Amino acid sequence: MPNIIAKLDKAFDSRVRLGIMSILLVNESADFNTMKNLMDLTDGNLASHLKALEGIEYIRSTKQFIGRKPNTKYTVTSLGSKAFKAHIEALDKLLK
Amino acid sequence: MKTNKQTEDIRAIRDMMEKSSKFLSLNGLSIVFAGLFALLGIGYMYLYKEEYIAGYQLYPQMNTNLLLIALAILFLSAVTVSLFCLRKMKTNHIPLINKTLIRAAYNLLVPMIVGGMFGLIFFMKGDLWVTLSVTLIFYGLGLINTSKYTFREIHYLGIIEVVLGLIAAFDPLHGLVYWTLGFGFGHILWGIYLYMRYDFSKKRIS
Repeated sequence: MPNIIAKLDKAFDSRVRLGIMSILLVNESADFNTMKNLMDLTDGNLASHLKALEGIEYIRSTKQFIGRKPNTKYTVTSLGSKAFKAHIEALDKLLK
Repeated sequence: MKTNKQTEDIRAIRDMMEKSSKFLSLNGLSIVFAGLFALLGIGYMYLYKEEYIAGYQLYPQMNTNLLLIALAILFLSAVTVSLFCLRKMKTNHIPLINKTLIRAAYNLLVPMIVGGMFGLIFFMKGDLWVTLSVTLIFYGLGLINTSKYTFREIHYLGIIEVVLGLIAAFDPLHGLVYWTLGFGFGHILWGIYLYMRYDFSKKRIS
């Protein structure tokens, strides 16, 4: 039991980060506003979690312009997708 | 205690994956309306049944009349469904232009437009029975196609429409009966089911 708990990734402790990773895994990319609307979050809250995940290189961001509006698109890195899958597996095992 | 949080986590993950990849702003009630409109239109078409049965085809002067009715029903249904969608999207703060809507609409409309043109060509040649069958088949294929991107239940409605379309090709004298079943009752039944499952108890998708 304790070693399974150790496998749970601390980076995914927050529900918001789980949400971000879930969205990015089933959609190849998502922009800031889409995620904000889906999870019903404030700008600051979402931004801080995105920054944290980007800091440990689980996700990557690309800035671009749509017309005149800046738009930040996020994608998951292979490191992030591996970590997230391991985390889900650990969750699964824990529940069994 | 600990496992409770984990169960909730798993549920949140599944929820977010589904919510972000599917267009779920469809309202079952609007589909029921579409079915009712279809029944009205088909009821009107029955008035021309005798001419239709005589030689499997229509007299030229009837063509435009029937076509206008069919297009009006299609338009009315599309507007109703869209308005209900818009309302649901607004209450859920979903932007009008979003990937899930575009993907779902594209996958439905491509087969529908191709099938519609195909049916129209035969209609103009006077072979209404081909049109009746082909519209059902292509509409069904569109539903099957788009069911990956919206409520999964649509898949089975699609299969039923395709089967009805094939039977209609086999049994051309009763084409309108299969239209009644497919476009009328099919939509009403599925609409009621979707409404009961997703809209009536609003908790599932907030």
